[in-house]
Amino acid sequence: MKEISLNILDIVENSVKAGASLTEIIIDESESELILTIKDNGVGMSKEIVSAVTNPFYTTRKTRSVGLGIPLLKLAAEQTGGEVSISSKTADEHPEEHGTTVVARFIKSHIDFTPLGDVISTLKTLVQGHPDRDFLYIHNLNSGRVELDTREIREVLEGVPLDCIEVISWIGDNLKEQYGEV
Amino acid sequence: MTVKELTMLPAFTEVLLPDPDREIEGCYVGDLLSWVMGRAQSGDAWITIMSNVNVLAVATLADVCCVILAEGVKLDDEVLKVASEKEINVLSTELPMYEGSLALAEALR
Repeated sequence: MKEISLNILDIVENSVKAGASLTEIIIDESESELILTIKDNGVGMSKEIVSAVTNPFYTTRKTRSVGLGIPLLKLAAEQTGGEVSISSKTADEHPEEHGTTVVARFIKSHIDFTPLGDVISTLKTLVQGHPDRDFLYIHNLNSGRVELDTREIREVLEGVPLDCIEVISWIGDNLKEQYGEV
Repeated sequence: MTVKELTMLPAFTEVLLPDPDREIEGCYVGDLLSWVMGRAQSGDAWITIMSNVNVLAVATLADVCCVILAEGVKLDDEVLKVASEKEINVLSTELPMYEGSLALAEALR
């Protein structure tokens, strides 16, 4: 992917397909590293599946036999000298607390580090595509913090669907403003 | 021209040819896998310097006629095994990607 924000879109779509009602997208960024954590409360994956998902020929999709979301994220992180780790608890074995966490560490000084890119568009796309799901986005930078929590927006809006154009453009403007301040 | 016929030329070497009679319909050059995935056309010969297993997944998805590894890049044994299982044609050339593309274009003329 040309930008990490596109990897994020790919991975979060997996969370949505896993039935997650809440997906957390956390970016911890320092001078030297960018650590991306995507944590969902979906159905989770068994140990066997966790070890298989980095194989690009593994997929849950029926229509084609190749899934590249995790492999491309892994490639992007490893190209910079970082790595990806995945942990998961299945809903069957952990009915109280289940889901999948994907952590990718990127070394920013490496020449093959791809920039974060247009993460605001990624978030708008996610909310617009899945207005019934919640997303928590936190980007911690040295200079401050950018945050978006659709649960809070949902509460304030009292029944207005999140995919209406005004809400989506408000989300974009709000994030732009926050990024302007950090 | 078929993939097998291309390997007869001095610039290109056969690595693995499970489908030697596949026709070469065009060419695509690129290393950013997600980009290639959406742009390479079915039947293209794909020239790249990337050599991890994801290359094979992209080759399968894009349905290219072969992967041509440029600059003498090699596949390690594990990746080679997957290529054989998935029946993906793999060629190599010592040429850099630009010169490799020129040689291929000349051959396809």
